[in-house]
Amino acid sequence: MSNTNQESEVVFKNVGKMATFKKTQTVILKDCSFTVEAGKLNVLIGPSGCGKTTVINLIAGYERPDLGRVLINGRPISGPSWERLVVFQETALFPWLTCYDNVMFGPLARGVMSKESAHQETVKLLTKVGLEDFRDKYPSQLSGGMQRRAELARALINQPEVMLMDEPFRGLDAMTRKLMQEYYLKLFEETGATHVFVTSELEEAIILADNLLVMTNKPSKIKKVIEVALPRPRDWSMASSKRYLDIKAEALELLHEEAVKASVASGKLDVDLASGYKKPE
Amino acid sequence: MADRTLMSKGEGRISVEEVGKIYDPEGVNVCALKDCNMEIDPGEFVMLVGPSGCGKTTLLNAIAGFSNVTSGIISLDDEIIASPSMHQSPGADRIVVFQGGALFPWKTVLGNLVYGPMMQGKMKRDEAVAEARRLMDKLGLSKSCEELYPEKLSSGMMRQVEIIRALINNPKVLLLDEPFRALDNMTKSLMHEYLLEVFAITKKTIFFITHDLEEAVFLADRVLIMTTRPGTIKASIEVNISRPRSFKTLATRDFMDLKEQAEAAVKEETLKAFEAGERELA
Amino acid sequence: MANQTASVESQFLRQISKKFLNWSLLRQIMSFVLFIGLWSIIVVAVDYFHQIPTPKAVFLALFELPITVVLINILKSFFRVLAGFFLGIVIGFPIGVAIGYSRVLKNLIFPAFEMIRPIPPIAWIPLTVLFFVHIESQIIFLTFYGAFFPIVYNTMGGIAEVDIRLPRAAMSFGLERKLMLWKVILPAAMPQIFTGMRLAMGITWILVVAAEMMANKGGMGYYVWYNHTVMDYPHVVLGMGIIGLCGAICSIGINFVGNYFTRWRRIF
Repeated sequence: MSNTNQESEVVFKNVGKMATFKKTQTVILKDCSFTVEAGKLNVLIGPSGCGKTTVINLIAGYERPDLGRVLINGRPISGPSWERLVVFQETALFPWLTCYDNVMFGPLARGVMSKESAHQETVKLLTKVGLEDFRDKYPSQLSGGMQRRAELARALINQPEVMLMDEPFRGLDAMTRKLMQEYYLKLFEETGATHVFVTSELEEAIILADNLLVMTNKPSKIKKVIEVALPRPRDWSMASSKRYLDIKAEALELLHEEAVKASVASGKLDVDLASGYKKPE
Repeated sequence: MADRTLMSKGEGRISVEEVGKIYDPEGVNVCALKDCNMEIDPGEFVMLVGPSGCGKTTLLNAIAGFSNVTSGIISLDDEIIASPSMHQSPGADRIVVFQGGALFPWKTVLGNLVYGPMMQGKMKRDEAVAEARRLMDKLGLSKSCEELYPEKLSSGMMRQVEIIRALINNPKVLLLDEPFRALDNMTKSLMHEYLLEVFAITKKTIFFITHDLEEAVFLADRVLIMTTRPGTIKASIEVNISRPRSFKTLATRDFMDLKEQAEAAVKEETLKAFEAGERELA
Repeated sequence: MANQTASVESQFLRQISKKFLNWSLLRQIMSFVLFIGLWSIIVVAVDYFHQIPTPKAVFLALFELPITVVLINILKSFFRVLAGFFLGIVIGFPIGVAIGYSRVLKNLIFPAFEMIRPIPPIAWIPLTVLFFVHIESQIIFLTFYGAFFPIVYNTMGGIAEVDIRLPRAAMSFGLERKLMLWKVILPAAMPQIFTGMRLAMGITWILVVAAEMMANKGGMGYYVWYNHTVMDYPHVVLGMGIIGLCGAICSIGINFVGNYFTRWRRIF
């Protein structure tokens, strides 16, 4: 894959979004404004259930905003398109297709490539993600890490302008996750394009991000955008640098504040606990 | 503040000597543990990390008395609790808090709490209720949830109840099997602080298994690293970070250094496990 | 020390016993022996049950089985079962797809279905006489009726429960809408569609036997009923066994086809 992907900017302007769940309406996003910078890795982090997936769905075009506008390169987003592709939580490979057929799906569905060139491109990508020996396996026969890589390949073959990563590494054990993070970093640094990456894991967020967008509880908006000015190519050795630690401290403070707010609001955890750590006397 | 009635009195030393475990499902020998050695001091908080499927849970089950060992000896305060020749059983002196949670869904919070001491005949119902209320008060669980059924509780609160249910038996050691795995990160971080608080109050020996290194270094006095199957203890890292710790600890240089140290030790094992996994599938 | 040597010995013994005796298999064989033993004992010991044939009588009856008659009856039952089953698929499957896929059609059709569905198929027997002149078509209607609802409901449910991310992903990749059903929805719903078919197959066998017992038109149900009327109970039991066998063959067959179409699910 060359660096020819067009880089697109996504802008949220005063977006509001409601959802109906068990007959009660909740406001998920309220007056939410931010910019997803073109060609950067933009990471969204926030408490669980805060509407991160809603942001992804809005950009992908699966949902429409109730208020405000979502713009890509200045134009409103009208529906799903191959230019904005999602790598889903826990993977959403087509389970009845082999690894190879899953990757071939996009080009063949649109009919933009001849079967022959789609085949070549697929083989090239599968080799790139290290799955050439597994091309004829079904998703259920792949390990968690391999499934994620197959899904990355399935998206990348379409050369999207925006890659939407919806907690893609969730459900992997910590160690496989780490390997996938390194793998994904390399991939991003080689291929470019605009990435939106949703996670609830802070370390993952910092090491990946150019911009770290910290979200609030529901109704959510962006609490703060932290610029992660760590050099690229990144690797985990940077995790002990002063800059990294400063960013981590700042983000921890913001997230802890939200976690406490959430638990107090729902009255679920005891207030004592939520007020932070008590010194034993 | 440290509660005398709850504090363990220099009890809870676990020693694991040359322990091995061979599973034999349908004649295929799977060696889950091999020559496993470790020593946990009374009142020590020890975390065991390793790649998934490395035998962490096997070791914990052997200590808890759920499964036997095929070689070696495990003892608790000089009393042998597991060896190949003995038929072991779980005891109230070592209570496990499980991954998914194991509260009885048909009992209220209070009913769950008093179940253990009543079943063992250690307390009458009103004594047990009084003790449960005292503990709930001490360990920050509000009285208002007493009559709720577990499904009404948030995931974090369920873990709180479960920890208290374990402590009411006044065990010598607390065995935790990835208790926070299914929680979201925010709740998890609150639960970490909670567990640290419980540890500060009770000073129980805690043996906690996980594959989350951040969790391990943040909570433990000592982090043990287990190898890929057959599991054996490969390294031990002393966590010299002063207590009390809070979430701010996570962004300190000391913490990151220790975490990196643990990571380096684990990474090799992970790669081995990773490749083994991919081989199996190939 | 003594402990340890003892453990080595016991381990050795344990391994030997594992090699030569598979207790689990033995216990499973024992299950059959126990069943037949219990059967014999009850028949012999309990006076009230003395008319029930002993296992031995049933076994001996096997040698005087009128093979051509039985074969013809088996074929008749098979024909009725398969005719009803395939009619159930031909009519039920498209309806299931339609109401699973379109909310409008679901609103139009589903409530009426819900009203009819709790009526047990056998309760329809008197009415079938009014619908169909030929007894053969009455029986096939009943088997069809039994197959119809499980197929409709499971097809509908399978389609309704497709993980929304799959069609979403396909939409993003630019799949034409008219291909969505064929390329994404149906493959994803396939496991549950086959669950419906398995259920349907079981029900058609129940119904065919009941209908044949009443109809006097041959088939294994009739064979059992006939032997009952002449009080040849060993052949009644044999007939029951043959029906069970036929049912098992059908469900193995459908599992075989189902496993082929959902082979991607197998995890190994």
